[in-house]
Amino acid sequence: MPDILTRHNVRISGRGTRTMVFAHGFGCDQNMWRWVAPAFEDRFRVVLFDHIGAGQSDLSAFDRERHGSLEGYAQDVVTLCRELDVRDGVFVGHSVSAMIGVLALRQAPELFSDMILVGPSPRYIDEPETGYIGGFSAEQIDELLDFLDSNHMGWSQNMAPVIMGNGDRPELAEELTNSFCRSDPEIARHFARTTFLSDNRADLDGLTARALVLQCMDDVIAPESVGRYVHDRLPGSHLVLMQATGHCPNLSAPAETVAAIDAFL
Amino acid sequence: MPSSDAVTTASPACAGDAELHDLFEHAPCGYLVAGPEGRIDRVNHTLADWLGVEPGRLAGRRFPELLSIAGKIYYETHFAPLLRMQGAFDEVALDLRSADGTVMPVLVNARERRDTDGRTLAIRITVMRARDRRRYEQELLEARRRADVATAEMRELAGTLETRVAEELAQRQEVENRLRQAQKMEAIGQLTGGVAHDFNNLLTVILGGLETIERQLASPAKDARARMERAVTMARHGAQRAATLTSRLLAFARRQPLQPRSTDASRLITGLADLLQRTLGATIALETVAGGGLWSAMADAGELENALVNLAVNARDAMPEGGRLTIETSNACLDEDYVASVPEPLSAGHYVLIAVSDTGHGMDQTVLQKAFEPFFTTKDVGKGTGLGLSQVYGFARQSGGHVRIYSEFGQGTTVKLYLPRCLDARSADPADPDLENPAPRGSETVLLVEDHADLLTYSATVLLELGYRVLAAPDAATGLALLQREPEVDLLFTDMVLPGGLDGRQLAEEARQRRPGLKVLYTSGYARNAILRDGRLDANVDLLPKPFTGQALARRIRAALDR
Repeated sequence: MPDILTRHNVRISGRGTRTMVFAHGFGCDQNMWRWVAPAFEDRFRVVLFDHIGAGQSDLSAFDRERHGSLEGYAQDVVTLCRELDVRDGVFVGHSVSAMIGVLALRQAPELFSDMILVGPSPRYIDEPETGYIGGFSAEQIDELLDFLDSNHMGWSQNMAPVIMGNGDRPELAEELTNSFCRSDPEIARHFARTTFLSDNRADLDGLTARALVLQCMDDVIAPESVGRYVHDRLPGSHLVLMQATGHCPNLSAPAETVAAIDAFL
Repeated sequence: MPSSDAVTTASPACAGDAELHDLFEHAPCGYLVAGPEGRIDRVNHTLADWLGVEPGRLAGRRFPELLSIAGKIYYETHFAPLLRMQGAFDEVALDLRSADGTVMPVLVNARERRDTDGRTLAIRITVMRARDRRRYEQELLEARRRADVATAEMRELAGTLETRVAEELAQRQEVENRLRQAQKMEAIGQLTGGVAHDFNNLLTVILGGLETIERQLASPAKDARARMERAVTMARHGAQRAATLTSRLLAFARRQPLQPRSTDASRLITGLADLLQRTLGATIALETVAGGGLWSAMADAGELENALVNLAVNARDAMPEGGRLTIETSNACLDEDYVASVPEPLSAGHYVLIAVSDTGHGMDQTVLQKAFEPFFTTKDVGKGTGLGLSQVYGFARQSGGHVRIYSEFGQGTTVKLYLPRCLDARSADPADPDLENPAPRGSETVLLVEDHADLLTYSATVLLELGYRVLAAPDAATGLALLQREPEVDLLFTDMVLPGGLDGRQLAEEARQRRPGLKVLYTSGYARNAILRDGRLDANVDLLPKPFTGQALARRIRAALDR
């Protein structure tokens, strides 16, 4: 397997002439798609992967500079998809990966002809002067970043290996942390900063592919106003307001998510 | 609305509803139940109390709403997905926001209650206060950060340690060098005094000769010619001794090559006696005893003379009231036992022994032990260099010989100089022909290479007068060009040290490649390793040391051509 596929812990399944690429968002890994992706394996070649720094990816490939902007993550996606000869495929991106997919398509328009954007947000911070509602005030994001700088957010068990320095005893982290959504605290902090300070609204303009926006109820990360903004800025796009609540319909309401994607495709 | 499953699943037979209700409400941990969509159904009294709100007012809200902004985001992006995927999470560290705005650090456990199809029926969450534990963790984290910083500093220190040690060593080396230089300067100071002293003696001899000549010219005596000839001989000898003194200085710098050859020690001593007697002065009687059937010694004659002068000067200084100096020669056989008793390496076998004895005050053991050390002297500054005996020792060692001092305080001193016997009679030292024979002449072509312009002119003039054809060059390149152009060149006479990259030895090698069999005579004021083999000249290398006389030049040129 070429290096890049190993680096991204790529899993390929299903059969079909078109490729469907699933990209996870901030905080988790390809396990996010465990109840959605299998539903498409009978018609599509299904590609799952972990962003560098997440899941089972090669953490040593994490580059603070390259991965200090969503463009860097998008370049990873382009390289990965070209390695897999993806053309006119379907991109399914959750959360921040919805925008990473948009950026990847701008870099390589031949890759995807259908974009499924699950809980997308081109900008998380409100912009009072234009009336844009991102869901977070600038102060709140500052508070988040300050907190991340001075604390290890998350599960207390993670503290032990961090405090003890788990570099030489990786099995310790293996035992202590939860099985999924493991993340290196330093990388998670960096990814959070990159994500929540991003503003990719202008990158929505001129998108050629068909687009579906899936919007949950009560999503504090990407509120309904943001979903509508994305829909409005992508002419010809479809907006589906789901019954599912929260930010992860792929986990909390997989059947509804699959049905919406199916209907669109 | 009470959650029925919360009650029914925890219904021990003996416990009444009221007791269970009390346990739920007032358990020492926060407890809440949410529906499948995450909206809160019920919160126990303990948690509501911590949050400072009425329990009923929390129903319908989502759990993340109780958290700080960072907790909200992390809950939605990390813990909610985790809960869905593994059905539970444990010990998640979060901060709750109470009604008055205070922050409460807690640890949260969560469980999904699912139906047989895996659908979520309810979410149960327990909340433990963890202020102390979280503070403790923060302190550990802070300690960890400090440890990381310290480790990084240590690593950097270790990285620079090597450099610092190297710098330290270089500094010490520098200080030692300066100390050595200072010691050397002090030695040079002593040396200057001693050399001036020695030179004065020689100048006295030379001036004495000149005065004699002057006197005889002004008012010739009967035997004026004979007197003047003796004076000339003496003055020349003095000048030659001065040249020897220069070579002694060079030997001090270890750049003077020895030219060991078969030497008749007795004859050499006889030839030196006149100068020695003058050095000793009128109060000291010189006695020479030549052993019968004396073997030839293998030694550099000039250095041997030098050694004898040094020993005579030492003897003189040991006999301020006058006395007797005896120089005797004999054959000696050093056996294995003797050789084994000598600290330095020495071969058993035949030696020529030159013993120099005085009737002076002698040396005690302390002085004796240091006698051979360079610059060790018992004389006042300006009276001696302290190099005399060390020259004798160095000469003996370089000649493959041996020197030993016998001295009793108040009884006088004998220095025994053993020089290896020369078994090759062919190279026997000829009698000094300078004064006896006219300079030998020739008509061959000599290629003369010398960078010192005056010396080049001088040598060329001498050779031309002797009948030779001379090609003169100031450096090796010009010399090689001349060699290329001239078909007839019989001898290369070159200075050892030349400018322009090629020295005399390299020039000779290059020239011999073009003209195999070309004869070569070197000259040098000193010679570097280029000409040295263990401080000696190669047997087949002819060297005419500078300064040289026209006579010596004529003789050595002829000898080289006739080899």
